[in-house]
Amino acid sequence: MSPSQRKTGRTSDWLGFAPFLLFCLAFEIVPILFLLRGSFIEKTTHQFTIQHYLDLQRPLYINSFLNSIKLSGLTAIIGVIVGTFIGYAIYRWPSERVREALITLSDVTTNFAGAPLAFAFVVILGLNGVITQFLLQYIHYDLYPKFSIYSFSGLILAYVYFQLPLMVLLVLPAFAGIKKEWQESAQSLGAGTFQFWWRIGVPVLMPSLIAGLTLLFANAFGAYATAYTLVQAKLSLVTLQIGYMIAGEVRQDQAVGMAMAVGSLVIMGLSIGIYKAATLRARRWSKS
Amino acid sequence: MVKSRSTQSHDPKKKVRPAGWQIFMVGFFLFYMLVPIISTYVFSVATRWDRTILPEGYTLEFYKRAFDASYFTITLRNSLILSVATVLVSLFVIVPTVYWVHTRLAGAKPLLDVLMILPFGIPTVVMALALVQVYNFPPLARSPFLLIGAVVIYSMPFMYRPVLNAIQAIDAHVLTEAGQSLGANVFQVLSRIIIPNILPGILSGSLLVFSTVFAEYTLTSLIVGARFKTFPLLLVEFTRINGNVASAFSVISFTIAWLASILILWVGSKGQTAKTETIRAR
Repeated sequence: MSPSQRKTGRTSDWLGFAPFLLFCLAFEIVPILFLLRGSFIEKTTHQFTIQHYLDLQRPLYINSFLNSIKLSGLTAIIGVIVGTFIGYAIYRWPSERVREALITLSDVTTNFAGAPLAFAFVVILGLNGVITQFLLQYIHYDLYPKFSIYSFSGLILAYVYFQLPLMVLLVLPAFAGIKKEWQESAQSLGAGTFQFWWRIGVPVLMPSLIAGLTLLFANAFGAYATAYTLVQAKLSLVTLQIGYMIAGEVRQDQAVGMAMAVGSLVIMGLSIGIYKAATLRARRWSKS
Repeated sequence: MVKSRSTQSHDPKKKVRPAGWQIFMVGFFLFYMLVPIISTYVFSVATRWDRTILPEGYTLEFYKRAFDASYFTITLRNSLILSVATVLVSLFVIVPTVYWVHTRLAGAKPLLDVLMILPFGIPTVVMALALVQVYNFPPLARSPFLLIGAVVIYSMPFMYRPVLNAIQAIDAHVLTEAGQSLGANVFQVLSRIIIPNILPGILSGSLLVFSTVFAEYTLTSLIVGARFKTFPLLLVEFTRINGNVASAFSVISFTIAWLASILILWVGSKGQTAKTETIRAR
């Protein structure tokens, strides 16, 4: 088919795209639009209202958002900082086979979220967990009751488990953007290691670090199964609250659930937007 | 130029040894990633492991009880049905679309990209809430069919990437034109020429989707719940009934994930060799 024919067959070309578009409309876009509409509609009078959003000011919902933001923010920051150092250690590792093995490990473990992972943490850090008992018997240090795997601090450990390998995978390509020549010329101009990283390395990495921070934040904010298995009703998170509303455990507030869902979509949208902008900037260095 | 320099620094002949801080960071990483998993494996065969540093004895009792648990075969079967159905629907919807957009409709590429990244931006609970609200009428309401639709959307990016990479790696335009000049129609070109050529991409995409869906908990529990109980639902249930049996379930779940990853790597390496061969042939 010649290019000119390709242009004339335009409507029929879009027809080939239609099945996929219909599928996305049916199971993704239309439901989300309904959700958006439902969050602004009064259930009995069917009139426009922002009452559902005002209802979000109740302490339970405010706390859910605060807890979710705190948990996601904290695990994203820990993930970015520790993940960057681990990533650099892997990037500079002399043996290629070890490097590849570690990248594969990151690939697998970053998908190990959810119930099995949560339970693995109960096995090592629960009340009778392997590490808990080890500390108690050999160092005579009792983790409980100050720490609990079924609490906020426990969730942080479990979330960092899937955040770290994700950051490693995100940051590895960024290190390739720091050219060896830059380091050499900085050295020949008398810059120390710290100076090089502070003035050149970190600024070059910065877009990738911001991209990592926002992606990890979104990754944690949307997580449900890990939190559900570990904390349940002991800690309120946005995703857990929405889950209770779907399961019908809290009967009265379906519409507030929708408002909450829209709120979390806004937060996710912002993070993904910053992520996109940051990756575009990061790509500047990998070109040339 | 730049590339050759950077590989020079990793020259194995120089016998550079990793620095102390590198060993520390990588050691910490391995510890964090492996200890929970290895502990779960050991816990699932340990008689008692809360008073000593190594288990007091070993047993397969908990696996026997896991396999005997009512629902075990049903949940495993349901998980398989869900995963296989999702892979099939996903292949059917995504592979022709990616091919079509790549060869005939480049203008739709940005839209396709956005639709593919969108599921990452929607928390699974939000998707479950939206779907349950819209499709509240039979036969879709809270049915496995609705679940399959939801899970296909949620796992779409995992199928899209490998398939897109595979299609970009072959010369789809030339292959299509060659096929058409020999009188093949679109379906013949797709099934006889394109799909065989991008098979490694299709396989890794399918495996990724399979292992993600096999471990899926959120959408399943919130959309269908007990009506169509899958393996992850059984696992969560048992974390509250019996920890030892739950660890046996976790081990089964981890093992399936490892196997899928190994297969993906294997398929990927096959694809790699195929690629270098075609380059050499040119």
